[in-house]
Amino acid sequence: MSSETNGTAERFAIGISFGNSSSSIARLNAEGKAEVIANEEGDRQIPSVLSYIDGEEYHGTQAKAQLIRNSKNTVAYFRDYLGKDFKSIDATPCHNSAHPQQSDSTVAFSINDTTDETPNTVTVSEITTRHLRRLKQSASDFLGKQVNAAVITVPTDFKDAQREALIASANAAGLEVLQLIHEPVAAVLAYDARPEAVVTDKLVVVADLGGTRSDAAVVACRGGMYTTLATAHDYELGGATLDKIVVDHFAKEFMKKHKTDPRENARGLAKLKLEGEATRKALSLGTNATLSIESLADGIDYGSTVNRTRYELLSGKVFAQFTGLIDQVVKKADLDVLDIDEVIFSGGTSHTPKIAQLARNIFPEKTNILAPSTFIGAINPSELAPRGAAIQASLIQEFEKEDIEQSIHPMVTATPHLQNAIGVEFTSGETVDFKSLLTAETALPARRLAQFPAPKEGGDVFIRVCEGVREIKVTKPEPKPKEEKPAKTEDDEDDSDFDSDEDEEEEETREIVWKTEKPIAELAVKGVKAGSKVELMVHVNADLGLQITAKEVGGQSAVRGVVEAPKA
Amino acid sequence: PSLPAGWSAEKDFKAVGTVSAPTQRNLEPVGPHFLAHARRKRHHRTFSEDERI
Repeated sequence: MSSETNGTAERFAIGISFGNSSSSIARLNAEGKAEVIANEEGDRQIPSVLSYIDGEEYHGTQAKAQLIRNSKNTVAYFRDYLGKDFKSIDATPCHNSAHPQQSDSTVAFSINDTTDETPNTVTVSEITTRHLRRLKQSASDFLGKQVNAAVITVPTDFKDAQREALIASANAAGLEVLQLIHEPVAAVLAYDARPEAVVTDKLVVVADLGGTRSDAAVVACRGGMYTTLATAHDYELGGATLDKIVVDHFAKEFMKKHKTDPRENARGLAKLKLEGEATRKALSLGTNATLSIESLADGIDYGSTVNRTRYELLSGKVFAQFTGLIDQVVKKADLDVLDIDEVIFSGGTSHTPKIAQLARNIFPEKTNILAPSTFIGAINPSELAPRGAAIQASLIQEFEKEDIEQSIHPMVTATPHLQNAIGVEFTSGETVDFKSLLTAETALPARRLAQFPAPKEGGDVFIRVCEGVREIKVTKPEPKPKEEKPAKTEDDEDDSDFDSDEDEEEEETREIVWKTEKPIAELAVKGVKAGSKVELMVHVNADLGLQITAKEVGGQSAVRGVVEAPKA
Repeated sequence: PSLPAGWSAEKDFKAVGTVSAPTQRNLEPVGPHFLAHARRKRHHRTFSEDERI
């Protein structure tokens, strides 16, 4: 550490996920596993809400409860306002809490945060600082050590101004921001850091379903390094959309009995929203959930139940929007669902069993759907981002600030990626098979090692290193001749229901096939023993030069060669 | 696959083509493997040099 920082230089870093709806704090425990820390109220998902009564500050769940009686002095859903121009924000989520206002070039809230009668104008940056200070305090209390640094997760579309504003707010709260990392990448890291996980080349879709917005991203994992290929965002879709369905359902039931609409009364609506959210969450765990509210409207108490089937029926359209977002991001990356190896469900709304089941139907069977209802080893979706941040924090907290800045500099992150896969061509008779060694979108420089079985009879082995392109082969089964039905035209598609099982029979099978495009190098390994294996190592430099080594496993002599980089 | 008859090359290696142009993308600066990559890039080391240290 540098000499100027005498003694105080020691960092104690945590991972923070800072969301519009809720935030979490995490830290690696003694066994080196990431652990989400509960605050003094026992919450691991701490609502990003601050509320003030008589100059006293309430935070988290306590503040959220104030949305009913003290909504004007309660600030919620402020993360996305940070570092933004007032004109560019969407104030809809703040309808039932303190309203955002313009204050110079930034967004502010007018709240009674002191014992004075007159309200103060508090900027969103100041609100964020207060929120982060409380999170820091909770973590410090739990860990028994003063936390002074953090890795914070942000959405992929966070602009530079938002990043700077967040860093400034965190610094004001006494937190050194070691790094801001992207939420989907944090989720992938949380899974990849498990001891049982193996580093492989894979394509992952991260569906981050939040409270007021949902994001999806396609991340290429190559040798443990991550590259985001595409992102998609929906700023109106989230758990709140589902809450509204529950609220409307109960409100209608209430109206049938009592002839008044509880949604017309601000306090009634606030109560319904709070309890509706709890009911919706309960339906992710159980198949039945109750809702009971004291004095909902006109002083009438209300209690009812709803089962999961009913809820899923009402929410069908919204569920389709979630899966639509996943579909959209895969298309945006110019990929097919067949290319995807893993779907990681992240964010609070990912607890909903039906959404993961619907995703299961979109993707082929080999794709792993990592959600609580489809995968037993799934990590709690709410905890992925904070865990990823905690892992990253532990990796870099020993680094000097300069080292971190240099490492995350664009000079380092901007890297050439392979356009096509590089692999080996196998010819056996008529069929040409391709086994990829380095997949497309691999960051350079990279190297891969693989072993291939030599021909049974042994002898000389010929290796042809090629570029390969994956294609999707659509095979339509032979249409069954049916005399009574003439050939269908496109217009007939929607005409009758009993067509449907016939359609299923004709369902086309789609599969990935590899086509070798362009040979790169040819090698011969001579005198290989029968039944042994040939080891091949391909090293691709950043300038696209190749070094290739091949030898018999256990053998002494190796065949080496260099392919020159293409001339620009 | 077996060696086709009549194939020969100096030292049993023949370069016959080049790799297609790469696409420039940004790596996510996250995770242990990236940090290793950044270390190599900043010190201009190769994989094997890095392993020796």
